[in-house]
Amino acid sequence: MAAPYSQFSPSPTPVNVCVEAVLESQIQEVRVVEKPDAPDGHEIQEVYVPPLSMSENLTKLAQKIDFYKDESDEKGKPTSEGEKEEEEKTGAAFQPSLWPWDSVRTKLRTSLTEMSVLLDILNVSSSKEKRYMVLDPVQQNAPDPKLAVQLMSKRRALQSAASVLQSGAERLRKSHAEINNKNDFHLELLNVRQKWRLKKTGTSILGDLSYRSVGSRYMHNGVFEVVKSSDLTAEGEFLAQRGSLDVVVPTELEGGAYIQVEVKSVPGNCITDTMDLTGAILRVPSGIGPVRSETYWQQKLEKAQNVLFCKEIFAQLAREAVQSKASIPHLVVGNQIITNVFPGIQLSIVLCHSTGKEREKKLPQYKMDHNHVLEHSLHQLLRENHFKNINFPAPHPVTALVGLTKKRRLAGPNALSRKQLMDMSDSESMLDQIIKQTKHNVLRLRTMQTIDGIAATLSDPQLTVHWSCCNSSTEASCRVIITSQGYDLRVWHSFVIIIGVDSLKVIIKEGRVFFLSFEEKELQDFIMWQVSQHQISVSQNLARLMGWQIMSTSTAMGVSDLESSGTASSLILAAPNKERILAIKSGPSSGIKVFLQQSQKDNKNRVILPDDKWQSVGADYQQVDLSKFEGRNFASKLELLLATFSHDLSSSSS
Amino acid sequence: MDPSMVQQTFKAAPLTTEFFLQGSVMENSLETLVNRLKGLCDNADYQQESFQDHEMVFHIKNTSVPTPLVFRVRHSLVQTECWSLRYLGHAEVGDKNRPTLVRSYIDCPTSENVAQFIGELGFRMDHEFVVKGFYFHKGRMKITVSKFYKMNQPGNTTNDTIETVCPSYLVELSVVTSSGQEAVGDDMKNFAEQLKPLVTLEKTDHRKIQLAQT
Repeated sequence: MAAPYSQFSPSPTPVNVCVEAVLESQIQEVRVVEKPDAPDGHEIQEVYVPPLSMSENLTKLAQKIDFYKDESDEKGKPTSEGEKEEEEKTGAAFQPSLWPWDSVRTKLRTSLTEMSVLLDILNVSSSKEKRYMVLDPVQQNAPDPKLAVQLMSKRRALQSAASVLQSGAERLRKSHAEINNKNDFHLELLNVRQKWRLKKTGTSILGDLSYRSVGSRYMHNGVFEVVKSSDLTAEGEFLAQRGSLDVVVPTELEGGAYIQVEVKSVPGNCITDTMDLTGAILRVPSGIGPVRSETYWQQKLEKAQNVLFCKEIFAQLAREAVQSKASIPHLVVGNQIITNVFPGIQLSIVLCHSTGKEREKKLPQYKMDHNHVLEHSLHQLLRENHFKNINFPAPHPVTALVGLTKKRRLAGPNALSRKQLMDMSDSESMLDQIIKQTKHNVLRLRTMQTIDGIAATLSDPQLTVHWSCCNSSTEASCRVIITSQGYDLRVWHSFVIIIGVDSLKVIIKEGRVFFLSFEEKELQDFIMWQVSQHQISVSQNLARLMGWQIMSTSTAMGVSDLESSGTASSLILAAPNKERILAIKSGPSSGIKVFLQQSQKDNKNRVILPDDKWQSVGADYQQVDLSKFEGRNFASKLELLLATFSHDLSSSSS
Repeated sequence: MDPSMVQQTFKAAPLTTEFFLQGSVMENSLETLVNRLKGLCDNADYQQESFQDHEMVFHIKNTSVPTPLVFRVRHSLVQTECWSLRYLGHAEVGDKNRPTLVRSYIDCPTSENVAQFIGELGFRMDHEFVVKGFYFHKGRMKITVSKFYKMNQPGNTTNDTIETVCPSYLVELSVVTSSGQEAVGDDMKNFAEQLKPLVTLEKTDHRKIQLAQT
């Protein structure tokens, strides 16, 4: 333990007094520590400053020496030197006026002395012989002013930490903003990936537009590329709207496309004269304009895929058209396929594809009869083809060959003939199917128009048509009902028309079946014939009601003028008292005629057969002018006629 | 069916070679595997094809040849009119470069009296079993996941008389084609890679299994 030790003698009698520092260390702090076993719950602990080591003590003392202190301070030193100096100084002080620079000179001299001493010491100490004087380095505690430096460095560290945090926060905020803007390439790529097949090849990202995964066998590979928008420089103005992702589709799939299906009626029968080879009119909605950024690539890809699909439809149809061995060959010219459906009716299928880059030309407005139903059917047919390509029925037992139908598997055990096998393998081409549908379409339209035309022109009787809602693309049916107004519930005549691909099948009330061709004249004649028969059945019904006797009916009268089509039917009625006979003739083209035979009352001059029952024999028939009768239609006129004669009869008998 | 395919089957070389790979899964991991197969195979996502077959194995012994000739009669319990007679050759493991097992395979659809017919030819029934499982296809590759049942009463295939042989499922990937089409093997190898690690389809040496049993 180092204790400062000093000694002096203030009195002449020297008594040695020892002054020592207390043997305790200085108290640095006093702590109050909670202690449950202490009487007042806490204990006071003193923390001491650790005692200084010898060298530390020396340093401390050395620091206390003030080398800059004025010499005057040392005057009081009770040394012999000091006393001498004092004497000199007092001597000097008594002559202040001697020289005004005296004090300066004195100070310079003392400083010179000190400098010389210092130089001597340095010389001695720096000399090679170290035995006279050795300089020891003085250790020092870290000086107090370093607190400020520490604070400064802490502040700087905190500042740098704060800047790191701030930049991080800034980046987070940015990325958050990017998510909101949907501007992030990778995020959009993720969206594309969810909807389209993508794969990475080298540095580029390629996607697949084709329908091969659902069974298409079309040649085109349908590859598109996903790029960052920043890579594109050509279309700078759209970048802001399109987001950061763009897709590059093959040039042949750009733009929009659709299949235009048109059923044209061509006057005359010669194909080559009238075939309109330049009929392919492009009318495509204007190209892809600026669209919203999140839907941009989706729309573009969907359009490209649609173009691919339309091309596949057309390619398939064109191939089938060239391969088919139809009696009238199908024409494939450029982007158009022309086939003859019925004489004078052509089906033209055109692939309309606009790349969206060419200027929109003002084409002369051409009246197009685009058939949306058939276009849709084409799409449907190709999709069915795709489905069949990869969807085989499962083999049973499971060891059997894949890709055979059950019928084909059982062909051997059932001993099918080669012809049956070949029939099984025959499947209709898409072109044949669409031609069939077109034929049916045309036929249905024709039938509809024919019936409507007749119904509009015919006032007596009326025609009503009920179209069945259960139909397919190649079959439809309707029921035509013929009624006379006012007698609808009593008598009605009906027949069913089943419209097939190129013929009509008609089933009439009594179950007879007629097959009609696609010519509308046949249907017209048939309906008129049915109308004429309806009139006869109305008459028959009325006669029965009024008590008249039906003497004969015939649906195919062999006499009288020939009808232009069909046959006339006839009915002969006798009045209840057999005095009058009515003959009704109804023909499809000649209309309805009524003849009356009246018995001659004054038949007294008959010689051969004077009996009453012969009196009506041989009398003349006279045509009744129905236009003179009151009544809306034939049925009401006939009713009046029958009633008149019945009445006349009863009055005469009474 | 595609008419060109039928034409092909008339004209092309007979399909007598089967390339196949085998593996097995435990019952509890069946669902995972089936889901994976649904994802990989054609048109499996909306219709699950399952099958139930009954197989009878017939032997005929010849004094000159020590190993008997084996014919297999199989008929579907789903489409009961479908019967077939099958001959399977020995599976050749081949060298390392060959990716799959190969065996000759002759399958012939027959009428239902085939068992009686070959019985009269001198074949004797050795054993019979029931197979139930799922069927998938990818292109021309056929994938079956099947479980085997032993029959407690001979000839009775109803559900209450059959009993599982073991709780695991046999997974088989096979292509039947004309001989010499080795390229099929690589496709199969690639497909088998897709199924790892759910099931490991590999060339299982049947002789080793037989040796292990004896």
